[in-house]
Amino acid sequence: MDYILDVQDIHTFIGQYHILQGVNVRVPKGSITALMGRNGAGKTTTLKSILGLTPSRLGKIIFEGREIQQMRSFDIASMGIGFVPEHRAIFRDLSVEENLKIAERKKGDFISKQDFIFTLFPDLKRLIKLSGKNLSGGQQQMLAIARALVADNRLLLIDEPSEGLAPVLIEQLIKAIQQLSAESTVVLVEQNFLVASQLAEYYIIIEEGRSVKEGKVLDLVNDKATIHRYLGAA
Amino acid sequence: MIAYIRKNITLLIILSVLAGLLAAASKGMESKDFVITLLRGLSVGSLTFLVASGFSIIFGLLDVLNLAHGTLFMIGAYIGWTVYVRPDTFVDMIAPISLILSGFLLKDLWSVLSNRSLFTGRMKNFLSWVGILVSALILISVLRNYPIAYWSHDNYAESPVAISYLASQGQYILPLPTVFESISPLLAFIGLIAGGLLLAFSLSLFGSAKQAATLRLTWRSFIGFAISVLVGICFFILNNALTTFLVTINTNWLFLIAVIVAVASGVGLGALMETFLIRPLYIRPIYQLMLTLGLSAIGIEIVRAVWGRSEFAMPRPEIFAGVGEGCPATSLADWWQHHCSTMMLLGGRIRIFNEIVVPLIGVVVLVTVWMLLQRSRLGMIIRAGVQDREMVEALGINVRRVFTQVFSLGVGLAALGGVLAAPSVGLSNVMGDSFMINALIALAIGGLTSYPGAALSSLLVGLLQQFIIKYGQIGIPIPFTEIIFKPTPPIVPASTILLMVIVLLILPNGLLGKKE
Repeated sequence: MDYILDVQDIHTFIGQYHILQGVNVRVPKGSITALMGRNGAGKTTTLKSILGLTPSRLGKIIFEGREIQQMRSFDIASMGIGFVPEHRAIFRDLSVEENLKIAERKKGDFISKQDFIFTLFPDLKRLIKLSGKNLSGGQQQMLAIARALVADNRLLLIDEPSEGLAPVLIEQLIKAIQQLSAESTVVLVEQNFLVASQLAEYYIIIEEGRSVKEGKVLDLVNDKATIHRYLGAA
Repeated sequence: MIAYIRKNITLLIILSVLAGLLAAASKGMESKDFVITLLRGLSVGSLTFLVASGFSIIFGLLDVLNLAHGTLFMIGAYIGWTVYVRPDTFVDMIAPISLILSGFLLKDLWSVLSNRSLFTGRMKNFLSWVGILVSALILISVLRNYPIAYWSHDNYAESPVAISYLASQGQYILPLPTVFESISPLLAFIGLIAGGLLLAFSLSLFGSAKQAATLRLTWRSFIGFAISVLVGICFFILNNALTTFLVTINTNWLFLIAVIVAVASGVGLGALMETFLIRPLYIRPIYQLMLTLGLSAIGIEIVRAVWGRSEFAMPRPEIFAGVGEGCPATSLADWWQHHCSTMMLLGGRIRIFNEIVVPLIGVVVLVTVWMLLQRSRLGMIIRAGVQDREMVEALGINVRRVFTQVFSLGVGLAALGGVLAAPSVGLSNVMGDSFMINALIALAIGGLTSYPGAALSSLLVGLLQQFIIKYGQIGIPIPFTEIIFKPTPPIVPASTILLMVIVLLILPNGLLGKKE
């Protein structure tokens, strides 16, 4: 299989804490892969380690055939990785338009992508002049995803998109992520098993800083024992 | 509108109280005194703002409390003075400086070399220290013998004080051009370039081991080096012609050149300081504080060693220096005709440069930097970075490069403040201190990282101080008594601190600061 991202046995320390103790993530090109696991298992740290925000000390991270674990964050991102962090990290003092424009890597990125972005999230077009701090949680989430779409990103790392959103908004979000996955590969961190199972094709379970199980989501849905053991949900 | 008023009711009340105080102050004195004091307040406020705004932008984005900011302000003033009063020294220095700097412009080459070098860990660290020592030896031995026209602060007749005085009389009596005696020009050139190359490479070995994604050496990596060496050679050849030119041109142009050179030096110093000294310490904020404090002391000592301890004044350019016939001017048009240093306004005499030009430049800088922050991509990145640096980096933006630019901008603003303050307050080793303290107080009042807050509160601090000084002369009659209260000089700084305490008690985040 053709893997766009291949994370091989990475170990990450934050301060003196050994947070990731051997995580393997292989992401087939064009797929949606969900990282699952309990709170504090190391899912978010895995995403941040891929981007070099919390650099891994051991192991290899290969993106499109190049080793990136030694690179600086902005160089990694510039290679074509978009990041939608937990809690959205919208720039509150920037307008919606500026929030999108700041993600440009070359002039005109936003102009050429805006039609695509506004078909995914029609609300944003209406809010374009509004300042980031005046958006609701759902609107912020849409903006955070839209921001990752402005530049030419082949891989999107999306952290907890459904967190704190009303069910109606989650429906919208699922549709949007399904649509955008036609253009780029997605790695999703998701606590909500229902959302993850609707979206993802593959899953990887992370438990106490290690990747312990992977496979197809279709198989996982019927594997009540695994779900109960690692995800704590029935 | 109503929502806005309700939200900022405390701020509005404070501002109206302050405006009321200002109006009350106008009652207690003659209108000419009021206008003069107001303009002086604006002048001090503008200079304070130039220090405060740079400090606040740096602190907002980089989280660096640059305690050397006041010293950099002072260094800006001394550099401006040198260009303005001793153009020969300035011209003599361009060639060696651009030759040494040329090595630093090869930074792409250095990062490739330091990534590929066989040495790692301790060996690398050791090598870089050896390199720094060797390059320092080379540079010192060459520069000692390099002919640079220089004043002497031991000998009064050749001291900056005497030179300044003569220059203010319109006399530029410069010593004979210096010549190469103890070292051949070729050897000096090679020594300076080699020293610069070695120094830059050794410093780059300290850098982190992270590699860039697309670091390939192209002709672009070498163009800066080539230009810098060429500039050095050109200035070397044109040395005497350029000195003669600078001495003979109108002092207005010379002053403009002095301001530009001072600001450019500030920008350059800022870039070097951020890249080589601050950058390795981003993870250790306390060390950073110690570093900037130490740099401030070192800067003051360097200035003492080069320019001496005595205070001296920077002559005003011709257009603001006229005193003879037709002066003081009665209107701006009249001033333009006679180039008077002072002007009558409502029966009071005001100094054109200090009380009109400096505030005007303050406003221009305020608007320019505001536009830069609000309209440009750099400004967008700065505003975003103040809030969430990590996310900006995750978008693929080299935040470190933006850090360097912002630091340079801040130091450049401080240097601008210094060179503008030089003709009005004079040059001294401690001139930065009072402005730095004013700026820190202003920032606390305005809200640490708020740019409009810095502007507003710098103005408040300047006005308050000048009004207290004025009332120190005319006295405040205390109502219902016969006591006339005359604030003594120590009350001047105390009053601004009192203002700060009152504002912070009511609005803990400052006037325009954001709630954390």
